[in-house]
Amino acid sequence: MLPYTSLFYPGPAQVFNRLRTGGRRGAARALVIGLMGLAFWAAVFAGFYRVLLYFNSVPVFGSFLADKLLGMALLTFFSILIFSTVIAAISSFFMSEELQLLVASPFDSDELYFVKLCETVLTSSWMVLLFSLPVFVAYGVVFEQTAAYYAIMATGLIPFLLIAAVIGIAIALCLVTTFPAQRLKDVLFLFTLFLVIGLYVLFRTLKPERLVDPDAFFTVIDYLSSLEAPTSAYLPSQWLADILGVFLFGHDAADLVFNVLLLWISAAALVVLLNFFFNRVFFSAWSKAQESRPVRATLSGLFDRLIRLVTRPFSGRMRAVIDKDFRTFFRDTAQWSQLFLLCAIIGIYLYNFSVLPLDKSPIPTRQLRSIFAFLNMGLAGFVISAVAVRFAYPAISLEGLSFWIIRSSPMGLRGLLWCKFWVNFVFLALLSVILTVCSNYFLRVEPYMMVLSTVTVLLMTFGLTSLSVGFGAMYPRFRYENVAQIPSGYGGLMYMMCSVLFVGAVVVLEALPVHLLVTAAFHGRELGGFDWIRIAASFALILAVCAVVFVLPMRAGLRRLEEMETL
Amino acid sequence: MIRLENLTKQYGRLLAVDALDLQVPAGELFGFLGPNGAGKTTTIRMMAGLLKPTAGEIFIDGISVLREPEKAKHICGFIPDRPFVYGKLTGTEFMRFCGGLYDVSPSALEPAIVNLTRLFHMEDYCGELIESYSHGMKQRLVMAAALIHRPRVIIVDEPMVGLDPRGAKLVKRIFRELCNSGITIFMSIHTLEIAEEMCDRIGIIQQGRLAAVGTMAELKERSGEADGKLESIFFKLTGDEDMQEVISALRL
Repeated sequence: MLPYTSLFYPGPAQVFNRLRTGGRRGAARALVIGLMGLAFWAAVFAGFYRVLLYFNSVPVFGSFLADKLLGMALLTFFSILIFSTVIAAISSFFMSEELQLLVASPFDSDELYFVKLCETVLTSSWMVLLFSLPVFVAYGVVFEQTAAYYAIMATGLIPFLLIAAVIGIAIALCLVTTFPAQRLKDVLFLFTLFLVIGLYVLFRTLKPERLVDPDAFFTVIDYLSSLEAPTSAYLPSQWLADILGVFLFGHDAADLVFNVLLLWISAAALVVLLNFFFNRVFFSAWSKAQESRPVRATLSGLFDRLIRLVTRPFSGRMRAVIDKDFRTFFRDTAQWSQLFLLCAIIGIYLYNFSVLPLDKSPIPTRQLRSIFAFLNMGLAGFVISAVAVRFAYPAISLEGLSFWIIRSSPMGLRGLLWCKFWVNFVFLALLSVILTVCSNYFLRVEPYMMVLSTVTVLLMTFGLTSLSVGFGAMYPRFRYENVAQIPSGYGGLMYMMCSVLFVGAVVVLEALPVHLLVTAAFHGRELGGFDWIRIAASFALILAVCAVVFVLPMRAGLRRLEEMETL
Repeated sequence: MIRLENLTKQYGRLLAVDALDLQVPAGELFGFLGPNGAGKTTTIRMMAGLLKPTAGEIFIDGISVLREPEKAKHICGFIPDRPFVYGKLTGTEFMRFCGGLYDVSPSALEPAIVNLTRLFHMEDYCGELIESYSHGMKQRLVMAAALIHRPRVIIVDEPMVGLDPRGAKLVKRIFRELCNSGITIFMSIHTLEIAEEMCDRIGIIQQGRLAAVGTMAELKERSGEADGKLESIFFKLTGDEDMQEVISALRL
C-alpha cells in the first residue's frame, strides 16, 4: 500500500508548475479571467439582491416567494451538480491519461476510489459552488443574517455537494458499464445541448416580460405561489433549504439538527455504498472504456457529392481543407449538434421581433420602427459575434495535433487562415442577412433602413469573422476534448470583449446618419448638403473601423502561428 | 539534395542544434542517430518547416526552406514520430486530403491512393474512420500519405516506432526501393541494428553537434572499434558515461 499523498500529488503539482511557468502573460490572463469572474459574481449577487428586496416589499407573499425561490435555486444547483459530476466522472474515472499508470500501480481500489472521488467532487462542484455563493450571500444580506447563518450554510453545503457527486459518479459508472465511453460522451453532450436549448426556448415562451407588466403582475404572483414542484421531503436540496429557512424565514428550529444530521449521514452512507459499487464494477467498466472498434464513415454518397459541389468554387488546396473541415464537422457530434443551438437562437430572435408591442408605445410607430431597426443592427452584431465564437473562433484549433500536416505542406499558414476566413464568412454572412432582413420584415421598416441595416450588419460580419478567426489563431488550443472547450479560455474571452467593443463602435458611429435620415423622413424634408457630408463622414469612419478590425486580427493571428513552436 | 548550413536552434538558454553542417546527396538513405535530447527531432522539424531556425540555412534540391518554404515543401514528404491525424476522416479521405494539399491532379490522385493502399497493406481498413486505427495503422497511413505527391526527398522521424515486425520489414523494403529509384531519405532512428542494416551513411549527433558522419566503414575506421558494430561505435562517439550509469542503476 502506498501513501495517499503520492496519489494526490500530481494534480496540485501540475497546477503549481503551470502557474510558475506562466510568466507575466499567464498572470495577465489570470487577472482578466479573475476580473470577469468577479463581475459575473457581482451581477448574480445584484440580480438576486434586487429580486429578494422586491419580494420582501410584497406584503403577505414576500417571504413565501423568497422561500420558494431558495428551494428552486437549490434544486437547480443540485441537478446541475449531478449532471456536471456525470461528465466530470467519465473523464476522471475512465478517460484521464494518468489512469493507465494508476491502474497499473500497486494502489488498491479503495485508495483509487477515494482519490478520484475527491478529484471529481472538486472539479464538478467548484464552479457551481462559486456562483451559488452570491445567491446565499444575497439572502443573508437581505434577511440581515449573522455569522451563524454562514456557518450553518457551510455545514450544510459540504454534504450537499458530496451527495450530488456520489449520485453523479454512480450514474457515470452505470452508464460506462452499459455504453462505450467515447459514444457516451457524445450522447451526454447532445443531451446537455438539448437541455440548454429546451430551457432557453421554455424561458422565452414563458414571456418573462409579463413580470414588469403591471396589468399581468398579480396573475404571475398567483401562478408562482401555486408552484409546488421543488418541495419534496426526499430531496437533499429541500433538506438544505429547510436548514437555511430556520435562519431566514423563522422555520421551526427543532428541524435544524435533524436536517443537518440527515445531510451528513446520507452523504457518509452514500460514499460508503458507492465504494462497494465502485469495487465491484470499476475494473470491468474501465477495461470496456479502453476498447475501440472499427467505425465506418457515416456520410452517404449523396452527401459526398454535395460536399464536392460546395467546394467546387475553391482552388486545389483550399478545396482540400474545406472538404476535410465539412466531413469532420458533420461527423463530430460536438460540432454539428451546435447547429440546433443556432436554429434556436435564430428562432427566438425572430420571435422576439414578431411579438414586439409597437402599437402600445407613445412614440409614433414609423419612427419607432426605424429606432428598433437601428438597435437591431447592434443586436444582430452581438448574436453574430456569439455564433462566431462557437464556429469561427475554433477554426484553427480544430486542426488539433494534426496541425503538423498543414505546416509541413506547401499550403502555407496565410492560405490556411484565409481558407478558414472565407468559409466562416459565407456562413456568418448568410446568418446576418437572415437575421436582419427577417427581423426588419417583422418591423415593417422603410426600404432605406432595410438596405442600410443589411449593409452595416454585413460589414460588421466581415470584421467579426476576421476577429474570431484571428483571435482563434492568436490563442489556439490544439489539445481539447470537445469543440465547446476551445472558446472557453482567455482567447475566447478577449475575442468577446473586442467584438462587443467593435459592434458598439459601429452602432455609435451609425447613430448620427440614422438620426438624420429618420428625422428627415419623419418631417418629410430633404437632407441638406452639410447633412450629407456628416453622413458620408460617419460612413467613412465605419468603413475605416471595419477595415482595421478586418486587417489587424488576421495579421496578428498569422504572426502568432508563424512564431509558434509547440507543435 | 539536402544541405544544412550552420543550422542552429536555441530555446532560451538551451542550444538544441549547434551550427550543424551536413550534405546528403540524391538517392541516399541517411540515418540520423543520437541519444535522447541530442537535437535529432529539432533538426528534422526545422527541415520539415515546422520550426524556425535561430540561424543557418536549409536547402532542399537547392531551394531554401526558409526563403521559399512552399516550393521546398512541395518536393518533400514528412513523416513525424507521432502520427497525429484527423480521426474523423477515413484513411482514403486522408490520403485524398494530403493529395489536395500538394496539388496532385485528380487523375493522378486516385490511382496513387489505390497503389499506396495496396503497398502498405491497408485495404482492409482504409474505409474506416482513423479514430479507430491502432498506432501502427496510423503510422502506415501517414507514410502512405507522405508519398502521395511523389516527393523527391522524404524526411522521417523514428519510422519504426509502433510498427509490428511485419510492418517494420515492409517499411524497410519500401524505403530501400525508394532510394534505389533516386529519392533521398533523411531518417532519424533509435534502433542501431536497423540503421546499420538500412542506411547508406550515418550521422551521429550529440548535444546539437555532429559528432561523426560517414558510411559504416568510415565510422568504424574513425572510432577504432574492434568489433565493428554500430552500437560500439555509437557509444564510443557519444561517450560511455551514460551507459555506465545505466548499468550501475540496473544493478541496484
